This record gives sequence, structure tokens and C-alpha cells, in this order.
Amino acid sequence: MIEFLQFLVPGILIGGVYALLASGLGLIFGVMRVVNFAQADFMMLAMYLSWAIFAGGVGLDPFLAAPLVFAAFFVGGMAVHWLFVRHVIGRRENHDAQVILTIGLGLIFQNLILIRYSSEPRVVAPSYANDGDFVGEIFISRVRLYAFLLSVVVAALLFLFLNRTRTGRAIRAASENWEAATYMGVDIGRTNLIAFGVGTALTAVGGSALVTFQSITPFVGLRFVVVMFAAVVLGGLGSVGGAFVGGVLIGIIQSVSQVWTSAAVKNVWVFGLFLLILYVRPNGLFGKVQRAI
Amino acid sequence: MLEISELSAGYEGIPALRAVDFKVGDRARVAVLGPNGAGKTTLLKTISGVVAPDCGTMRLEGEDLGKLASHRRVEAGLVHVPQGRMIFASMTVADNLRLGSHRAAARDRHDERRELVLELFPALGGMLRRDGGALSGGQQQMLAIARGVMACPRLLMLDEPSMGLAPRASEEIFEGIARLSESETTAMIVVEQRAHEALEICERAYVLESGEVVLEAAAKTLLSDERLAATYLGSEI
Repeated sequence: MIEFLQFLVPGILIGGVYALLASGLGLIFGVMRVVNFAQADFMMLAMYLSWAIFAGGVGLDPFLAAPLVFAAFFVGGMAVHWLFVRHVIGRRENHDAQVILTIGLGLIFQNLILIRYSSEPRVVAPSYANDGDFVGEIFISRVRLYAFLLSVVVAALLFLFLNRTRTGRAIRAASENWEAATYMGVDIGRTNLIAFGVGTALTAVGGSALVTFQSITPFVGLRFVVVMFAAVVLGGLGSVGGAFVGGVLIGIIQSVSQVWTSAAVKNVWVFGLFLLILYVRPNGLFGKVQRAI
Repeated sequence: MLEISELSAGYEGIPALRAVDFKVGDRARVAVLGPNGAGKTTLLKTISGVVAPDCGTMRLEGEDLGKLASHRRVEAGLVHVPQGRMIFASMTVADNLRLGSHRAAARDRHDERRELVLELFPALGGMLRRDGGALSGGQQQMLAIARGVMACPRLLMLDEPSMGLAPRASEEIFEGIARLSESETTAMIVVEQRAHEALEICERAYVLESGEVVLEAAAKTLLSDERLAATYLGSEI
């Protein structure tokens, strides 16, 4: 039992970060039906930004710098939407163009960073990087605990934004039925712009939560992109809450599976369960009705 | 209030409206009748800006609607309650109503409007916290109309409010609309298959056929002149 808990607790902690990473992807897909293959590269860029803020003289702790990262990627995400994404959605919706655009953006981001910073792994190590506390017999890493807490706070703020603000409600309405939202006077161009900015920023903050225990390379996104997509599909495409649950679940499976098998095959467990859940519930855990696209 | 002339629109080259002239006076209530595929829904969608016209002009109190994006038309007071209700199924009834108040002019009047719509459709009162998707068809239609009324419309467009409803439920809907026309001075366009009910709420009626206006008459005339009604509305009256 103790052994199980020793794996369960870290699983929940990393799962919280996965949830945050996936919620951004899920929000963007839910609102504008764009599968953003560049999402994990926004995370990578955010990790480099956190590293630059920490190592580049300012010395600001990545957890404290998270609001700055959020703001930067909110603006950056809106810029990417305005420059590129809005031309391939809505009335001019073109799925082929969306795939090529977002994969292309990801490749450009990866290679620009490769040119600028080389492929040498970067590490953000605050003074407490190796600290931790025992709760009973379970060791809880300080940085992973902070990463989890940051994710929970951001998740709570996202929930409040989507449920309690006028813009948040408009975004939910547009994601459920853009035509009906238009009849309410919702400016779909604006909700798409804001949702893309928020979605990008959510994943970016997930990146800042990771840097204290995940080394940074230009291709670090590839390690997380699969987890992000699995979490979103598992939770039910288009459901932000579902993406959260999916993320936590994947963190738990990855970690707990190590009770029985090696860490090397943890993703086999993830995708085994993934296929099983989709077999039983094709629309994901929280996917409701299949919406016409 | 609304003046439309020579309006044509269609879907990928297939015309749905041909040179339609259409007018709604201040505070007027106008029924739009006609068989399936006559272009009634297209007319409303073109007025809302969801369908782009091929040619023609639309003016709301003199202002050219053609230049306004859909959401700006709502800001101008043009509110569309679409066919098939389109309520937000995953959101609560209260949140659906709140979205009705999205329009700037309606934002500060949310509480007062909510009281009004709950008087129009008392059945909604007990369901404010329920998800829209959990409502029956008739309740969803009430919610769709209530949501439109929340926006303080100057011109309210109702597309087939009784579609797919049992007689009892559709009666309740028409009672609500009748109460609305008594308490509010909003102009209205009512698109309906149930011609009789629509004519009882409205003063004037247009009959569309294959995208063209084939008759414009006072509602009373259509209700009383059996030959006219039989010619244009079949056996519906």
C-alpha cells in the first residue's frame, strides 16, 4: 500500500501539470475546432522564457515569473491567431491548412530556438530544487508540489474566468454553438482571439511549472505533445474540464504503473487505457454529444 | 423600422430569395408564412447577417445593415430567435438568459428583464439552475424566446417557434408571445408553419413561395377571406 501511495502522489502532482498543458489545447480546440500541433512548442518557448528570466540576470524564480509568462504568451498567442490562425477557421475553415499551419509554426519555433540556443539542455535549478518533505513515508518533492499548486491555482482562475465573466461565458457559448452565440451579439472573431491567447498562455504556464525538474531543449515539446493530445481526447474533445481530468489521469497511470513495470513502458499503460476508454466511450469521459463540425 | 428592398440571397449559387421587398413598421408585428423551402428562414438569416445577400438593401431605421457584422446588428437591436431553438445545452437556464443580456444595451437591465421573461414563461422560473439540455422541447423553445427577449430587442425575429412541439406546448409558446406583445412595444417578425396562430398575433402577413413574395396582406383579411387563405396557405386555416 505504501509503495502504491509512493507512486500515486507524484503521479497526481505531475498529472496536475499535464492537466494545465492539456487545458490550453482543449480550450482552443473547443472554441475554434483547431487542432493546434504547435501547442507543445508554445510550452517549449515558455520554458526557454522562464529559463531566460531565471538565468539571464533577473534571477526571478520560475514560479514567481509565471504571471509574466502568462501575460507574454497571452499577447503572443493572440498575435499568432491574428496573423495566421484566423485565416483558416470559421467561414474560411480549411482543415488541411490548419494542420500544415500549426505543424509548420511548431517546426519554425523549434528551429529558431535551435539556431539561437543550440541543442544543449538548459536547466533551471532554484536553491530548493532538491528539497522535499516526508509525509509519513511518502517523499514529496518541493518543486513538484509547487508545480502542482501553480496548476491548481491557474485551473481555478480559468474556471472563474469561463463561468463568472461576460467574456468567459461568451467563449463557452461560442464553443457550444457559434451561430447561436452570434445571435446573442457575441463577436466570434473576438472570442476566438481571446480564447487562442488564453489557451496559449495556459500551456505556457504549464511550461513554467515544468522547468524546475525538466531540462529544456528545442525538442522538449515532443515529449509532452502526445500526453497533451491523449489527455484532451480522453477527457472528451472540446471539454476543458475533461482535459483536466484526462491530464491528471495520465499522470497517475504513468506513475502508478511503475509499481508493476519499468518506467520505460509507462506510456504503454497510458495508451492501453486510452484505447480501452475510447472503446467504451468513443466521445471521451466527458464528451457529450458528437457535434457537427 | 426595417425596410428591405430587392433582396436576393442564396447558397452557393442556388437562389433562396429573389428580389424580396419587405417592410416592418414601428412596433409592427409581421407574420411570414409559406411552405417549407420558401425562403423564410433564409430571409431571417440574411437580416441577421449569417447569410450574405447577393444584392438588395436592408435598412434598420435608416441605417444600412449591409455594412454591419452580425454581432453589430444585435447591438443595433435586431434579435433573432433561430429555428431549432439553439439553446446552450451544457449551460444552465440562468446562464442562457445571461447570454441573452450580452448586448451592451441590455447588460445593466439583466435583473429587470429576467423578471419580465419569467412572467412571460412562468414554467422557466423553477428551472433556472438546470442545464438547458435537460429541458423538454417546449421548455427549450420558451428559453430560446426568453433569451432573445433578455436582449431588449427593438425588432425580435422568431423563426418557427412552434416547430416540433405538441399542440399543448405550442399553445403555451403562443400565449407567451401574446403576453409579450401586450407588455412590450417591440416590433416582431414571426415565421410560422402554423399560419392561424401567427396571424392572430400579427397585424400583417407576407406569404413567400420559392423565394418570392406572392402575397402581402393584413392578417385580418387572411383570417377572414377563406378563398385567399385557401389559395396561399393551403388548408392550414
